[in-house]
Amino acid sequence: MVCRFVLPLVLCYSLSPLLAQEDGPAFFEKNIRPLLVTQCLGCHSAASQPVMGGLRLDSRELAIQGGTRGPALIPGNAGESLLLKVVRHTAGPLKMPPGPKMKDPDAALFAQWIQMGAPWGNTTVSAVPASPQKYWAFVPPRAPIPPMTKNTTWAKSHIDQFLLSALEAKGLSPAPPADKRTLLRRATYDLTGLPPTPSEVQAFLTDTSPSAYAKVIDRLLASPRYGERWGRHWLDVARYADSNGLDENLVYKNAFRYRDYVIAAFNADKPFNQFLTEQLAGDLLPSTSDLPTTFERWTATGFLSLGAKMLAEDDPRKMEMDIVDEQLDTTARAFLGLTVGCARCHDHKFDPISHADYYSLAGIFKSSQTMENFKVVAKWHEYVLAPKEDRDRLSAHEALIETKRKEITARAKTENDRLAAIAQNQVGAYLRAAAHLQRDSQIQIAPVESSPQAITRLANTFDKGNIHRILEKSKPNIPKDSNGPYFAEYTITSPVDGPYQLDILNQEFGSGTADLYVNGAWIKRGLPPVQNRAASPESDGWTYLAIIPLRAGANTIRFEHAARFPYFAQLLLAPHTLPHTPLTAVQIATLYNVNPGFLDQLVEYFERSNGATASVLFPWETQGSSVPLRNWASPAAKLFPTLPHTQELLAARYETLFQQALAAGPKSEDPGLKALHEFLTEKFGPFRAPDNARRYFKASAQAELKALDAELKTLEKSKPDFPRAMGVREGEKIEDLAIHLRGSHWTLGQKVPRTFLKVVAGDNPPAIGPTESGRLQLAQWLTQPDHPLTSRVIVNRLWRWHFGRGIVPSVDNFGRLGEKPSNQPLLDWLALRFIANGWSVKSLHRDMMLTSTYQMSSELNAKAAEADPENVLLWRMPRRRLEAEAIRDAVMATSGGLTHDKPGGSILTYKDRQYVANTEKGGLVDYDRPIRAVYVPIVRSSLYDVFQAFDIPDPTSASGDRDSTVVAPQALFMMNSSVMLKHSRRLAELLLNDQSLDDPARIRLAYERALARPPSPGEIDQAQTFIAQIQKDWANDPIKAWQSFAKSLLSSNEFIYLN
Amino acid sequence: MKRRDLLQLSSAGFGSLALSGILGLEQARAAATDPLAVRPPHFPARAKRVIFLFMHGGPSQVDTFDYKPLLKRDHGKPLPFARPKVVSSETFNLLQSPWAFKQYGQSGAWVSDLFPETAKCVDDMCFIKSMHGSNSRHGGALLELHTGSDTFIRPAMGSWVTYGLGSENSNMPGFLTICPTQSHGGANNFGSAFLPAPYAGTAIGAVGIPSRDARIPFITNTETPRPIQRKEIDYSQILNRQQLAMTGPDRALEGRIESFELAFRMQAEAPDLQDLSKESEATKKLYGLDNPITEDFGRQCLMARRFSEKGVRFVQVSHTYKWDQHEHLKRDHAQNAAEVDKPIAGLLADLKSRGLLEDTLVLWGGEFGRTPTAQGSDGRDHNPEAFTMWMAGGGVKPGLSYGATDDYGYYSVENKVHFHDLHATILHLLGLDHLKLTYKYAGRDFRLTDVHGRVVKDILA
Repeated sequence: MVCRFVLPLVLCYSLSPLLAQEDGPAFFEKNIRPLLVTQCLGCHSAASQPVMGGLRLDSRELAIQGGTRGPALIPGNAGESLLLKVVRHTAGPLKMPPGPKMKDPDAALFAQWIQMGAPWGNTTVSAVPASPQKYWAFVPPRAPIPPMTKNTTWAKSHIDQFLLSALEAKGLSPAPPADKRTLLRRATYDLTGLPPTPSEVQAFLTDTSPSAYAKVIDRLLASPRYGERWGRHWLDVARYADSNGLDENLVYKNAFRYRDYVIAAFNADKPFNQFLTEQLAGDLLPSTSDLPTTFERWTATGFLSLGAKMLAEDDPRKMEMDIVDEQLDTTARAFLGLTVGCARCHDHKFDPISHADYYSLAGIFKSSQTMENFKVVAKWHEYVLAPKEDRDRLSAHEALIETKRKEITARAKTENDRLAAIAQNQVGAYLRAAAHLQRDSQIQIAPVESSPQAITRLANTFDKGNIHRILEKSKPNIPKDSNGPYFAEYTITSPVDGPYQLDILNQEFGSGTADLYVNGAWIKRGLPPVQNRAASPESDGWTYLAIIPLRAGANTIRFEHAARFPYFAQLLLAPHTLPHTPLTAVQIATLYNVNPGFLDQLVEYFERSNGATASVLFPWETQGSSVPLRNWASPAAKLFPTLPHTQELLAARYETLFQQALAAGPKSEDPGLKALHEFLTEKFGPFRAPDNARRYFKASAQAELKALDAELKTLEKSKPDFPRAMGVREGEKIEDLAIHLRGSHWTLGQKVPRTFLKVVAGDNPPAIGPTESGRLQLAQWLTQPDHPLTSRVIVNRLWRWHFGRGIVPSVDNFGRLGEKPSNQPLLDWLALRFIANGWSVKSLHRDMMLTSTYQMSSELNAKAAEADPENVLLWRMPRRRLEAEAIRDAVMATSGGLTHDKPGGSILTYKDRQYVANTEKGGLVDYDRPIRAVYVPIVRSSLYDVFQAFDIPDPTSASGDRDSTVVAPQALFMMNSSVMLKHSRRLAELLLNDQSLDDPARIRLAYERALARPPSPGEIDQAQTFIAQIQKDWANDPIKAWQSFAKSLLSSNEFIYLN
Repeated sequence: MKRRDLLQLSSAGFGSLALSGILGLEQARAAATDPLAVRPPHFPARAKRVIFLFMHGGPSQVDTFDYKPLLKRDHGKPLPFARPKVVSSETFNLLQSPWAFKQYGQSGAWVSDLFPETAKCVDDMCFIKSMHGSNSRHGGALLELHTGSDTFIRPAMGSWVTYGLGSENSNMPGFLTICPTQSHGGANNFGSAFLPAPYAGTAIGAVGIPSRDARIPFITNTETPRPIQRKEIDYSQILNRQQLAMTGPDRALEGRIESFELAFRMQAEAPDLQDLSKESEATKKLYGLDNPITEDFGRQCLMARRFSEKGVRFVQVSHTYKWDQHEHLKRDHAQNAAEVDKPIAGLLADLKSRGLLEDTLVLWGGEFGRTPTAQGSDGRDHNPEAFTMWMAGGGVKPGLSYGATDDYGYYSVENKVHFHDLHATILHLLGLDHLKLTYKYAGRDFRLTDVHGRVVKDILA
C-alpha cells in the first residue's frame, strides 16, 4: 500500500496491517457512525430541511454520489475524497463541520475508513422520519368557515367571529366600544396620520345615524391624505430612500417619483396585484399608446432600483451580484414574507429554499438591467420620461457633447505632447535649473514683520479685483455666479528701483494658495488645496513669499486663483538687503528658459528618489557625496564608462544621451538608452506634461481651447432636460446563472434555469421564454390567486398597520423562523376575501375598520390582561404611540402650521447623483419646512434626527414593522427642537390672536386641537393656574406663557398616544 | 436567563424594553430589564471601556509605524511580486517613505518622523503590524472595520460592546461618537442595526463641525431658561400622571414619564462633560489645545477622556477622511500627523497619569493601509492587504510589536490579523466571548464576528 503524501503521518501509522484487518462494518459502527451522527447528519440527511449542498451522508451510495460539489467519497482513496479534505480544511474555502475544526484523531479515523473502502453498517444512518408535513404557509389558504360564538350580538362581521371565538375559548370577552371621540381620533390618525379637526369631531358627534361611522371611513379613504399615510407604510417595505447610503452616498434625486407613484396608487385604490406587477415588471406590460401610463409603469420599477448599493466596489461582478441579491431579498421579503438571502451562500437552513432556488430567481434579476455600468463609482439607470422623439433628440445631443469632450481632450493632448517633446530635448537645462532651485530652496528667509521702510497694505484694500471686499477664512471669497480667474491687484509705489521682500500675514494654505504676478510677470505659483480640510489651516503670523523686483513709481502686485480666493490679512513689502536673493521656481524657470511645471516635477522627482540606486540620474543626484558610483543599479550606467568632471559637463552629457535615447525610440536595443527613454516618457515621470498644463500652451492653442470650452458649455447648457425616473429594464444579456458556491463568483457550480421557488411554485408556474428576463412571469406567479403567500402577506401587513401587531407577528418572515399566526383561519379568510374583492386595499380597510373589534376601547381588563398580557387575542384595542411622521405632522397640524402642498419633487437641495455632503445636515434640506413628513427626504446614513429618534426603520432593508421605543432623545426633541419651539409658539399665537375667546375658551380650543376632546373644568383651572404662574417667570409675556402651556400639552403622553 | 431572552420576552418586544432601559431609574435597573444596565462580562475583563481613535482615509503603514528599509533601497524598482487580484487602481514602482524612521523607548519600536510625540509612548503601545481586511474601497472598508460586514448593514462594534456590558453612567448614552463621518457608510458605522435603539451610537456633532461646536442633537435650548423648562416638564408630567390614573398601569406611558427626567439630566450632564474650561492649563496644553493645528483633534481626545472617566463605555474620536493620499502624500500626511500626534500622545499620557490606562483600551487605526508602490508621483493607493493598528492600555502587552508584513509592506505575512480577529480580541479584552455575544434576528443568532474571528492571544498582557 502506498502512503499518499497528502496524508499525515498518523494515518500511515494507523494503516498498519493489524488495524486494516479490523472488520469493516464494525469499524464503521464503532468509529464512523458516531462522527457522522454528531458532526454531519444535521445538514446532510433525508431529515435535513433542506439537504445542504445536495449532499446526503446517510447512506454509502448517496455519499459516493455526492452533492453539488461532486462525490464526497472515493472508496479506497482518502487523499482525493472531498469529505476528508473539508474536515482537514484543505479544500479551499469549504470547511466542515461548521465551527471548530474536527480533531486530528477523528479526521484520521475518517481517512482510515475511506482507505478501507468506506465499509458501511446498516444501509442508512438516520432514524428521523423523512418528508415532514408540509408547512402551513406553503399550502394555499382554503376558505375557513367562520366559527359560531356564544355571544351572538357582538360580532359585526366574520372577522369579529374569528376573534370572538378565540376569546371565548379562553373565557374572555371583548372590551366595550370606544366613545365616539376616541374612535374618530383613532380612525383619523389611522387612515390619514393627522388629528381630526374640531369641526370634524363636531360633525361626527352630531351625526347620530347608524351609518355615521361608515361615512367617516369613506370620507377618510377618499381624502388625499390617506395615500400620504398608507403610501408611507408601503415605502417602509420598499426600503424607500432619497440617497444611496452605504459606501458612496449619492443623491437619488428622482426617487421621489416612485414615492409619489406609491401615494397615488393608494389613493386610487390600485388593485394590489396590479401594484405588485407594475413594481416588478411595469416596463414589460403590454405596450400602450398612453404616455403617462407608460411613464407610470417605468416609475413603478423604481422599487427594484432604490436599494442601497456598494457603488464603489473594485470587483464589478461582486457589485452586480450584490445588487441582484438586494433586489431578490427585498422582493422576497416584501411579497413572499420569506428571507431568501441566506440561500445565496448555501441552502436555507430552516426553510426549504435551496441554493439552486436562489440562483434560479437571481437569474431573473441578473437578466434585468438596473445599472448603466459597474465602474467605481457606478451609475444606476434612469428612464427619461419623454416621448420617443425627445429621447432620440436627447441621445443625439449627448453624443454631440461626448464628441466635443473628445475634441478638447485630443486638442489638449497635442499641446501636452508638444510641451513634453520640447522639455525632453532640454534635459541639460532642466538639470541645471533644478540644481539652482534646490540650492535656493535651502536659503531660509525670515519674514520681516516690521521695518521702518516697509510698505503694508490690508488685503481688503485692493485697487482692482473681482472678489469680495471682506475676505473670510475658509471661504471661497468670490461672488456667486461670477467667472474666474479671481484676483486682487495692489498698486504699490516704490521710491526706488530694486528688490523687495514680499510677506503676507495669516496665509491660508489649506484651500490652496494664489499665484503671484508683479508688473505682469509671473513670479510664484500657487498651491493646490490640501485634501479634505473643512476648516482650512492657516499660518499664524507672517509668511515669506518671494523677493520681487520693483521699479521706482507705480507697481502692480496681483494675486490670482482660478477657483477661489484664499484668505490673507495683510501684505508687506520691505527693501531686500540680505546677501542672498533666493529665486522662486517660476523665476528660475524664466532664467533658464525652461517650463516651471516640468521643473517642479523634476525637483519633486529628486526629493522622492533621494539618490535611489535604480534612478537613471543616480550620478547627478549623488554628486559630491561619498556614495560610490558602482552602486548605480540602472541599465543607464553602461552609458557612462567615465563620468564628466563638472556638473556642467555632466548636464551636457545627459542632454546628449537623452536626445540619443529619443532618437532611438522606445524599442532601442541598447538597454541604457531604453532606460533613458522610459524615464522621459513614463506615465508619472518628471517629463510628462504637468497637470493643468494649459497655462503653458501657446496663446493660439489657449484661445482655441477656450473657444472649445465655451462650445462645450453651450452644448451642456442647451441639453434638453426631461424628467427622469429610476427604474429597471430588460438586460442586454438574458442568461441563466450558475450556482455560486459559498456565494462567491470565483467558484461556480452548475447552471440553473430561471424559475420560482420550488416549494411554492405550484403546478403551473408561468414559463419564461429564452429572450425574457422572467420579471413579468415572476409577477404573474406571485399574483396567481392560489399563491399561498402573496395575499396572506399583504393582508397581514394591513392588519399590523391597523392593530399594531400582525396575525403573523413577524410580518416580513412567514418562514419557519418567523412566528406562527395567532389566528390562521382569520388570516386565510382575509386573504381570500381580499382576492375576491379584486385585491382592493380600500375594501380591506373597510372590512377591518367596520368590525366591532376595531371599535373596541383600549380599556384595561385585569382578568384578560392576566390571561393574555400581550393582547394577542385582541381583547381590547391596543394603545399605540404615533409614528415619527405622524408626531411631526400632528405638532404642525395642531398649531395650524402644516400645509398640504405637495412639494412637487424632491426638496433636497442637491442635484441627482451628487454626494450627500460631508458636512452638517442643515444644507441638505430644510427639514423644518411645514410639509407632510412623507415628503421629507429619507437620506440614508444621515437620517433626519426626528426620524432617527422615533424609530423609522433602517431604510436599507424592507420592513413592515416598526419599533416604538421610548428613549431620552425623543424627550429632548419634545423639549428643545426647533419644530417644537416654533409650532408651540404658533399655537400660542393662534389661541391668543382670537380676541373673541376668553382664557377658558382658549384652553378648550387647545385641548380640542391637540387631543380631540374638551378639557374637564378641573383641567381648565389647572391650566389657568399654570399659565398665570409661568407668565411671571416670562416677565409677563403672555405669548411665552401660552407657549409654555402649548409645549407641555404637545409633550404630554395623551398627545402622542392613540387610545 | 440570557440577556437576549430578557430583551425579547417583553410584551411589546423591543419597544417596552428599550423604554424601561432608559428609565435610568434604579428600580428599573434592579428589574434587570434595562438595556443599558451594567451587566457582568462573560469572564473577568481586562478593559472596561474603549476609546477608538479613527483615522479615516487610510494612513500609510510604511510611512508611520511599519519600517521597511528595503523600500528605501529599492525605490523606483518594480514590485518584485504579484499584486492582489482586485485593486483600486493602477500603481507603479516602489516608493520609499519621505520620512526617516527611528527607534524609541525600551521596546525599540520603529516610528517615523511623522509621530515624534506619540513615539514617546511606544512602551505603552502594542502594534499590530499584520492587519488586513477584505475591501479596497473606503465605504466597504469602513463598514467592515466598524461593523464586521461590508455587504449588509450590521450593528457597530460600539453597539455590540454596549449591548454586552451596558452603560456605567445612567445619565449618558453608552456609546458616543465625536464628529463622525457622514460618508462611506455614515451613520451605519455607529448604528445599532437590528440591536435595540439604545445601543446605537449617539453622535456629538459631525464631520465638518469644529469639535468645539459639536453637540448631541436637541441637547440645547436657546429660548427657554432651565427653571422655566423644569416647570413646563412638571406640568406635562402632571397631565401624564392624571392620564395614567385613568388608563391603569401601562409600561409605555410610565416609561415616557421617566424618559423626560433622564433627558433633563442628560441635558445637564452632557454639556458639562463637554465643557473643557474646567481642565487645567497644563492638561489643555498636553492635548495641544493651545495650538490651532492640534486644537480640534485635541479637544476631541480630551472630551473622550472626560466621557470615559464618567463611565461612557465606548467613545470614538474621528480624524475624518483626511488620510487618503493618492497624491500629495508628503505634504498631507505631514499635515494629518501634525494634527493628531500631540493630542494622541497627550491622551495616552493623561490616561496613564490618572490610572485610567489600566482599564481603558485605546485603539488607533484607519480602514486600510496604503500601497508601498507609487500612485502618480507622490501618492499611494488603498491597500487592505496590510496595515498597522495599535492598541494601548486595558490588557494588551505594552511595548509589543505583533505580526509582520513582507519586505515592502504590501501584504501581511506573519500572524495575520483580520478585522474579525481584531473584533474578537477587543471583545475578549472587555471580558466578552465573541462566540457567545449573540443576538437573534431574522431567525438566526448574529455575532459581531459573523462566522469568523480569532482572539489574538499573543497580544494579551
